[in-house]
Amino acid sequence: MRRYSLLAALVVLAFVMLFPFLLVGLNAFKSPEEYSSAGPLAFPDGLYLDGIVAFWERVDFGLKLWNSLLISACVAVGAVVLSVLNAYALGIGRVRGRLWILVVFLVANTLPQEALVYPLYYLAKQVGLYDSRLFVILIFTVIQAAFGTYLLSAVLGRFPAEILEAAAIDGAGKWRALWRIVVPISRPTLSVLLVFFFIWTWNEFFLPLVFLISNDNQTVPVALGVLQGDRLMDATMSSASALLGIVPAVVFFLIFQRTLTRGIAVGAIK
Amino acid sequence: MRKSPLLVLMAVLLTACGGTESPAPQASGSAQARTLTLWHYEGADSAMGKAWAEAIKKFEASHPGVTVKFEAKGFEQIQKTAGMVLNSDEAPDIMEYNKGNATAGLLSKQGLLTDLSEEAAKRGWDKALSASLQTTAKYDERGIMGSGKWFGIPNYAEYVMVYYNKDLFTKHNVAVPATYEEFTAGLDAFVKAGVTPIANAGAEYPAQQIFYLLALSKAQRPWVDSYQLYKGKVDFHGPELTYAATTYADWAKKGYVDKDSAGIKAEDMGVAFMSGKFPIMVSGSWWYGRVQSTVKDFEWGSFLWPGNQMAPGSSGNLWVVPENSENKDLAYDFIDITMSKEIQNLLGNSGGLPVAADPAAITDAKSKELVENFNKLSGQDGLAFYPDWPAPGYYDVLVAGVQGLINGTAPDAVLDEIAAPYEENLADIGG
Repeated sequence: MRRYSLLAALVVLAFVMLFPFLLVGLNAFKSPEEYSSAGPLAFPDGLYLDGIVAFWERVDFGLKLWNSLLISACVAVGAVVLSVLNAYALGIGRVRGRLWILVVFLVANTLPQEALVYPLYYLAKQVGLYDSRLFVILIFTVIQAAFGTYLLSAVLGRFPAEILEAAAIDGAGKWRALWRIVVPISRPTLSVLLVFFFIWTWNEFFLPLVFLISNDNQTVPVALGVLQGDRLMDATMSSASALLGIVPAVVFFLIFQRTLTRGIAVGAIK
Repeated sequence: MRKSPLLVLMAVLLTACGGTESPAPQASGSAQARTLTLWHYEGADSAMGKAWAEAIKKFEASHPGVTVKFEAKGFEQIQKTAGMVLNSDEAPDIMEYNKGNATAGLLSKQGLLTDLSEEAAKRGWDKALSASLQTTAKYDERGIMGSGKWFGIPNYAEYVMVYYNKDLFTKHNVAVPATYEEFTAGLDAFVKAGVTPIANAGAEYPAQQIFYLLALSKAQRPWVDSYQLYKGKVDFHGPELTYAATTYADWAKKGYVDKDSAGIKAEDMGVAFMSGKFPIMVSGSWWYGRVQSTVKDFEWGSFLWPGNQMAPGSSGNLWVVPENSENKDLAYDFIDITMSKEIQNLLGNSGGLPVAADPAAITDAKSKELVENFNKLSGQDGLAFYPDWPAPGYYDVLVAGVQGLINGTAPDAVLDEIAAPYEENLADIGG
């Protein structure tokens, strides 16, 4: 009996979670006339693909995908490397005042991005990187690494000292211990971080909106904003674009799903 | 020490992003290869989108050797980032920008927009645009619209009208009203038949525009000038706004607007009207093209708010030329083409509201109705702008105020509530 009620609760929860996707999917394949006459909840009469095709061509979606992929991949890799180096110093190296350093990182994490915009804008203009993807990559590498450092420091703080001592006796220096011992052993955690950083960066809207000015540099979420007019919106085309925007993140999630679950499952090191 | 594969991967990726960075520098000045960078945020299928695409073609034909690099932008992106973009060398040569004190006014005050006064006089734009349309094109040194130098040129206009469902009007024996009394009598007839007459959206701009229409029914031009351009004192408990608040509350009680409409958004209001659920929608000409292309199941039409001399309305958004534009001469030429009869007529025939079209050249019957009503309103100096313009953030204040009226807050309390932020802003700008 309890199992069935649990099942029912899960089904309801799943439906609530999936409902927005369902709505987007439903409206993406509807013509604007159908949307206006039958409303957002009706099933489409037939498959209407013009919205998706028109949106793809209008914003040159292939290019946006490439931009998003490039930026997210660079950030994910860069931020993980940076986090590992920081966390190695803070968690294992036990640098003096590491608690305060971590607090600073944590505070940096809670800073709203709106507060960063103007300083970053003047910085970007000074170094000539305004409207360049490289600048966005640098910003997000640092932002994501702040969180990564905080998390990894906690993980590495519990790293078994015996293993490191054994490595030191065998003649491994600090650098070698990091890449040969610490990184391989914490790989599951690092993969999870990599996937998270990728998806978070992929979904970022505000800073890319501000720093990627020309259409050739824009990312997927910024391109989706093109459809929002002054007073009007095109609901079906917005749905089509939202569908195109979600799909890559979902695909990426499905590919790395196993890494994610494994990373969460690996709590302790034997 | 071996290089980690991660580091190598990262290095490769970073080089990949570095490769395509800076766009080729523009060869400005040389006769062969000039580029006019142009931004706007109108949909490709909208009247403006169609007209401007044609204008780009015409421009390229009359300017051999010049290519137009058009980039479609989002409204939000321009709204949020224009100040920063225009202050850098990434500024376009010409762009569409939002009218108003907080947008075009602010940028003109910061010196980011080019003064167009000389060009406007030389090319006759100042004669093509009627006085109330010019209000949003000119800004003084405080960045307040209405007087001073020209900083933008509008191509289109907008105004608020009453859309009605002819089929439902016939079914309930209601005639198109000519006076305010006939209008309310019609609304009563619908309510009696169990139909909510007016599609309303309390969560967004439509509700406050009805509120403003009611205030305008008791107002003269000097009141609008005081309210919008700070040319005098506005009494929030004066006859205009008191009438608007009490009448609106009364309408909500009588069921002219749905009692649950406080949480409805404009998009849902439009969709409800277009699917034939309401006989009346009070909203702006920005819906016109969409209603025209979507509504197939019933006959519809539009009329001006009965009994009013004035209605919310203004010029549309503006062409502005950034101070950092490298091709100002080309930008002026482009604006001139968009003001030509040919492009203006195309705008009118595509469901838009041109500012300088030849009325005889508008052939489409529905578009003719739109333009004729506008000419009537504009002819009686009836464009009264929008109620949320006078102060930054006033939009949300009015949304909350009118929602209060729908939900039964006392009109006097609502008037106090909307008066405070207005007075505060007045004190800020030293008015």
